Amino acid sequence: MMLARVADSLYWLGRYAERAEHMARLAVVMLNATLDRTDAADQAARIALAAVARGAATEFADAQAAARVLALDRESAASVVASLASARENARQVRDQITTESWEQLNFLYLRATGIAAEAAFAADAPDFLQRIIADLHQFKGAAEATMSHGEGWRFMLTGVYIERAQLMAQLLKVCFGGGRGGPIDDHVAQVSLLRMACALEPYLRVYTADINARLILEFLMFDEDFPRSIRFSTERIQEYLAHLSAGRDLGRHDPLRLAGRLNARLTYADIDEVEGGGAGPLLAAVVEACIAVDKAIHETFVAYPIEMRLPA
Amino acid sequence: MFAPDGVTRAHYRLLDQDIHALGAQALADRQKTLERSFLLQGITFTVYGAGSATERIIPTDLFPRIIPAAEWAVIETGLIQRLKALNLFLADIYGEQKILADGIIPRDLILGCPAYRRQMKHLFVPHQAYVNVCGSDLVRGQDGAFFVLEDNLRVPSGVSYMLANRDASRRTFPNTFREAGVRPVERYPDLLLSTLKSMAERPDAQVVVLTPGVYNAAYYEHAYLARLMGVPLVEGRDLTAHDNRVYMRTTAGLRPVDVIYRRVDDDFTDPLAFRHESSLGVAGLFNAYRAGQVVICNAPGTGVADDKAVYAYVPSIIRYYLDEDAILPNVKTFLCRESAQLSHVLANLDKLVVKAVGASGGYGMLVGPHASKAEREAFAEALKADPENYVAQPTIQISTAPCLMDGHIEPRHVDLRPFILSGEKVVVTPGALTRVALRRGSLVVNSSQGGGSKDTWVLAPSPAKLEAP
Repeated sequence: MMLARVADSLYWLGRYAERAEHMARLAVVMLNATLDRTDAADQAARIALAAVARGAATEFADAQAAARVLALDRESAASVVASLASARENARQVRDQITTESWEQLNFLYLRATGIAAEAAFAADAPDFLQRIIADLHQFKGAAEATMSHGEGWRFMLTGVYIERAQLMAQLLKVCFGGGRGGPIDDHVAQVSLLRMACALEPYLRVYTADINARLILEFLMFDEDFPRSIRFSTERIQEYLAHLSAGRDLGRHDPLRLAGRLNARLTYADIDEVEGGGAGPLLAAVVEACIAVDKAIHETFVAYPIEMRLPA
Repeated sequence: MFAPDGVTRAHYRLLDQDIHALGAQALADRQKTLERSFLLQGITFTVYGAGSATERIIPTDLFPRIIPAAEWAVIETGLIQRLKALNLFLADIYGEQKILADGIIPRDLILGCPAYRRQMKHLFVPHQAYVNVCGSDLVRGQDGAFFVLEDNLRVPSGVSYMLANRDASRRTFPNTFREAGVRPVERYPDLLLSTLKSMAERPDAQVVVLTPGVYNAAYYEHAYLARLMGVPLVEGRDLTAHDNRVYMRTTAGLRPVDVIYRRVDDDFTDPLAFRHESSLGVAGLFNAYRAGQVVICNAPGTGVADDKAVYAYVPSIIRYYLDEDAILPNVKTFLCRESAQLSHVLANLDKLVVKAVGASGGYGMLVGPHASKAEREAFAEALKADPENYVAQPTIQISTAPCLMDGHIEPRHVDLRPFILSGEKVVVTPGALTRVALRRGSLVVNSSQGGGSKDTWVLAPSPAKLEAP
């Protein structure tokens, strides 16, 4: 039992922290890929920008300018610093609920990424600046994992992390395999960049060795049971946490657990041949829609419920 | 720290040695470490400027201020006496109003006071503890004795700085701290919680801290106290009143609340009872309070007893209810509402500090000796136009303490804010927030006016240990 507003803030803290990390990684991979000056590098930049629902890469003078928008643009809701600011603002709302260790880590990271020295640090060495943010976010998650009680608040936070992750991963894969213009990516450099954007290169190589092809990438990032950034891994966690959170409760009309379970079942029992044959687009679109529906159901069940239904007996 | 002849006072000798042993560089480094740690912890207040809000740490000085046991004993008994009398006074004016009938205090001064809340009339308050948390401001005058400058009986803040400063000073001077026998302040959250619980009937009462939200300057403190007491930190929108019971919205439905430690002003607690356009409060909260189903701490309407004009009557209040003389004296105060006193004030504007009765935080005041002729003349007009709104006090030579300023040790004026808790019992935490006027010569210590703070060590009664060879 915890305050509804607090649960909501912890949930969004998880979502924003995950979003910041994802955006930082997209920007780093994009910057590193463009060092090659090949067409594939342009493709990587296009993937990154399309995945965050931005226009074509040509809008920007160069990759550095594009990365700058992804990283530092406070006006853009999805940028790294805007996500960090939102994550930290949510953490501040529930300062009494998160441990000092995790708060200080997040606050430190926020102060550095938004401080007066940030612009200069980014201009001097953008990949380094972004890598440090990613490493700091890992430290934040580690500190939270090691010091917070793994109770209700923790589960709300992680539900946020995994919903965000499933949705972002589905969006990224949709750009690459969704059957839009250009068809599925086939270039080796672009495929490796995609794996890096998903932080999946090394785990992928351990499973499939250096045999990099579109079908296996899709299989790994959508259905792998053990890789923490695959969509299936995320949906399984979402279902698990929601099962805990809803235990012993009347969930009313908007049952987030039912929606989450249905999504997870779909990914658990999907078949890569089938998906590849019909194109991955419809399933990926369904994942995004289901994430939005679960988010809405969580809000209506735990946060914005009508008062008359919930007076104590 | 120093006696008039320049010799270091006995209870400061160990610290003095420690400071010299450390040297300027080490002190500067420790100051930096301290500031960084405050920033990381988010011990900040928000300054709202043109279109932007920045978070700043309250400047904190490394050197603790030390108060020997004998001096503290006087402060402690004086504060307990004062708060007891003020609680009795509040119970009286919201009850039978005997003190007004007996003509000790003018009736219009109380009933016309903007902080008087007629809604509180005849409302039962457990233990007659209207003021559960009090933060009085004391200063030490030229003769070395402490007196009370102001009582803060509404929603006093600063206690988190007392605790954070203690953490910092213990790290800076570990040796002196160990040797000196400093009394601990760390029990404050614990004592606060039992004080709040003593206001409810059930021993397992649900206590919450009510904050205006993250945009409030003292939000850090609200979150800090909630965390250390282990109780929910709620905002008005988390609470709802139904059938004279107050509930909080949780993920598992509504849960009843018994005690609300509110850190919002009276006006913003309940739009039905107080300010109608406020969106911060909980509609119906006050009715639940009247019905005895929830306790609000501090009680609404306590501001009438820390009004700057009522202040002048506190020694009489103590005599009236307790039949004792005030242990901690007041500063001599002229009430401009009395015409004889007004003409004295107008004739001596260059020697007096004039304060608006309703203002706080160092706003709306004139420091006569530091003001220009034009400022004094403008203020005199304001005074004549609305004398009831002003009181005047002689400028006091308040004491200074050594502070580290840009690498140099310099004297700065300080005051002392101890925290007194009152529920079933009255307790004073052996420590305080010492506020520092950071500008040389300035007498204004409020954080909104560029004040800082430092830790305050209250020594246990065994002074012999302190005397360094």
